[in-house]
Amino acid sequence: MALEVPERAGAGAAGAEADRIVIADQSGSDELLREFGMEEHPRGGFHGLLEVIPTRADIILDLIRSNSLWPLLSGLSCCAIEMMSTATSKNDIDRFGMFPFRASPRQADVLIVAGTLTTKMAGPLVRLWEQMPEPKWCVAMGTCTTSGGRFKRSYSVVQGVDRVMPVDVYVPGCPPRPEGLIYGMMKLHELVKQRRGEWPTYVDRGPQRSNWEGDVR
Amino acid sequence: MADVRRPRPTAEQLGRRRTLSAPAKAGALVRLLLDRFPGLASTIWTDDDTVEVQIDGAGNVALLGDLRDDPELHFWFLADAAAVDYGVGERFEVVYHLYSDLHPAWLRVRARVDRADPHIPTITGLWEGANFHEREMYDMMGILFDGNRDLRRIFMSPDYRSFPQRRDFLLPDDAADSQAAGVNPLERPETWDLTRLEESRAPGVMAGAGDEP
Amino acid sequence: MTSELRIPDPLELEAAEEGRLRAVAGLPPLKRGGGEYAGFESVGLPDRPPQTEREREVYTLDEGEMLVNMGPQHPSTHGVMRLVIKVRGEVVIDIDPVLGYLHRGIEKLCENATYTTVMTYVDPMDYLSAMHNEHAPAIAFEKLFGIKAPPRAEYIRALVVELNRVFSHGLMMGFLALDMGGLTPILYSFINRDDVVDMLSAISGQRMLFNFFRVGGVNFDTNDEFMSRLGTWRAGVLKTIEMSERILTDNEIFRGRTVGMGVLSGAQAIALGVTGPSLRASGVPFDVRKAHPYSIYPELEFDVITQAGGDVYSRYLQRVAELKQSIHLIDQIVDKMPHGPVQAQVPGIIRPRPGRAYAAVESPRGLYSVYAISDGGPNPYRFRMRDPSFVSLQALPKLMPGRLIADTMAVMASFDPVMGGVDK
Repeated sequence: MALEVPERAGAGAAGAEADRIVIADQSGSDELLREFGMEEHPRGGFHGLLEVIPTRADIILDLIRSNSLWPLLSGLSCCAIEMMSTATSKNDIDRFGMFPFRASPRQADVLIVAGTLTTKMAGPLVRLWEQMPEPKWCVAMGTCTTSGGRFKRSYSVVQGVDRVMPVDVYVPGCPPRPEGLIYGMMKLHELVKQRRGEWPTYVDRGPQRSNWEGDVR
Repeated sequence: MADVRRPRPTAEQLGRRRTLSAPAKAGALVRLLLDRFPGLASTIWTDDDTVEVQIDGAGNVALLGDLRDDPELHFWFLADAAAVDYGVGERFEVVYHLYSDLHPAWLRVRARVDRADPHIPTITGLWEGANFHEREMYDMMGILFDGNRDLRRIFMSPDYRSFPQRRDFLLPDDAADSQAAGVNPLERPETWDLTRLEESRAPGVMAGAGDEP
Repeated sequence: MTSELRIPDPLELEAAEEGRLRAVAGLPPLKRGGGEYAGFESVGLPDRPPQTEREREVYTLDEGEMLVNMGPQHPSTHGVMRLVIKVRGEVVIDIDPVLGYLHRGIEKLCENATYTTVMTYVDPMDYLSAMHNEHAPAIAFEKLFGIKAPPRAEYIRALVVELNRVFSHGLMMGFLALDMGGLTPILYSFINRDDVVDMLSAISGQRMLFNFFRVGGVNFDTNDEFMSRLGTWRAGVLKTIEMSERILTDNEIFRGRTVGMGVLSGAQAIALGVTGPSLRASGVPFDVRKAHPYSIYPELEFDVITQAGGDVYSRYLQRVAELKQSIHLIDQIVDKMPHGPVQAQVPGIIRPRPGRAYAAVESPRGLYSVYAISDGGPNPYRFRMRDPSFVSLQALPKLMPGRLIADTMAVMASFDPVMGGVDK
């Protein structure tokens, strides 16, 4: 249950309590919010410098953001083909606003990591993630990005992309059906509207070193 | 059925102790090889559709060149070049598979490479397409190809120090039993936030719907 | 006294930060090579002198030349590959492909897996032709086990393999156009692919990484849904393919960008190890299904198609022709399919005999072969796969000098590489 909050001056348990109370006051039982499925989550919201007391403008902005999440073209392997299949005519994510797969990370909102992440590719992928401007979200598509997948014992596969970057939605499957990826994107829409992304509260635990000689970061 | 009528050469005529049991398919090729390269007689082996010979690594360019240039053998296509490790005290082997349109069998050439000092001449002079195969064999097994203009790692990073496909490079056992198990919070149930469990329904599904079949 | 405003160089800042972190961690500072290779970090190269002759050739820059990095993430859809291109202006002088961004260690994993589990490991290699990836190990293991698959299993194998070839060549048509900027044919290709893949999921349970072949046969028999989808698909497939063809084959822009581009002669292709449609488009009639027949191909009637040009356009025409040939093959297979079991009757625990087996199949990218060594135990002793895209990539640096950067993608797409197979 512990939510890791970056340190702020004068923060502590009291500061966290204060945040919660403030946010609960704001959301209340607003019918407009409930209709859009955007009730403020008691633990949601941004912290630190990014904290803003939600106003109507922010709610509309979140709605707009969730309906036009532009993914980055970052297909690594087999899941990329299913991602392309989701993007083309039969299972169309253009209807959710995600048709332009941006080639440049500077213009993308969401990074769908589709395919196995290897140790050689981990560096470039983290660089892509860091080049994306905030707000940004990450979807781990497929079991290879969730936990290493069918390559669990491999010497060159990163055992889950959440070892190198914060992940918001995990879509299991090998590869996930296009309907599964669309379901994952629906969950992401919820996260976007409720401001429950991982990246602002992501605490970089550093390279998770261990004595396991086979562990590859 | 043809071999029932045709007189077959006896074991003495072939100079071998036991009868040649090559089926009619590969028989012509085996006889040709014994003809051209008598030194291979002790190592030649065949089954339905493959003929196999074994040589020492140093002679690979000479043999493969002859196999390619001889008009009756005509093995013009290199299908595969692979490396095999037989264990820590044993040898390496570089295995070439060749195809010829005059013979219905694949030809496999197994070239022995010393494990302590793994050098073998390159065949990029014969087939340029062997370059990537040799780079892969260097990367994965650590076999050095003398004369290859581009012998660097192809799959692993340039500063990687092991040779993964050797027999003494061991993969770890199941990650769950290892010391790194539980590094990822998803692998530790005590870090799961169960208050968020009810949010895992699909959006728009009413709470309580779909609980009963 | 003038004060100079010195704007720090970003690379210098990184180096300073790294020095500080290393000092904090108690590590000695890194030595940098410096000198003429100092600027190469921007293309992802270490700043050390080149290690091999070929590296020296590529990374030594003359007057006016520049290294451009077509990085592992780029909009071309072949996967993660890095091309370091040496250009003068827009003209390509040399290319160095950097592979390994998808290397998953499949061969090593297969040595630690049972013969049935190997089928799940080889699927994601060449993920667009997963059935071919499984066909070769199935044949090789059957040689080691001494088992023969029943005839109905062989026919089902040939059927799904040809279906796989159809949608793989269809996807190539789409990717070739996509890499050159045409965004419509890819949609048609994916419509066709979704139809075929739903059909294959009816028979194997999976849309993409099928895990369908077993040693001694296939996993499931055909069922009603599969046959009905097959009938519907067969009725409409030629029209779907024709929609893509109508856009591309006589298109002035398409022809202008592909005719005469990346001409690969037959002798050069053989020397480089190029196989499959790319080799046959250069005039060499080498098709594994005819050269070294396997499965039921001796009983099917088909010719080896070749083209004369050897350029990108010929490789495109070759794949379209082979696509249609595969549809005819599917018709023949469905007509001739016998009844019977789909898996050989083998005892529950069976061990292979010690020995070696080599099996080659014709995948949509070329000759895909497996060399398996068994020592009598439950795991293969050595499992080696020869992937056709891996070997065909060597043609790229030979064809590109003198062309423009934009042609790189057209030539690459014409060889139809799949990085899963290249990097294993």
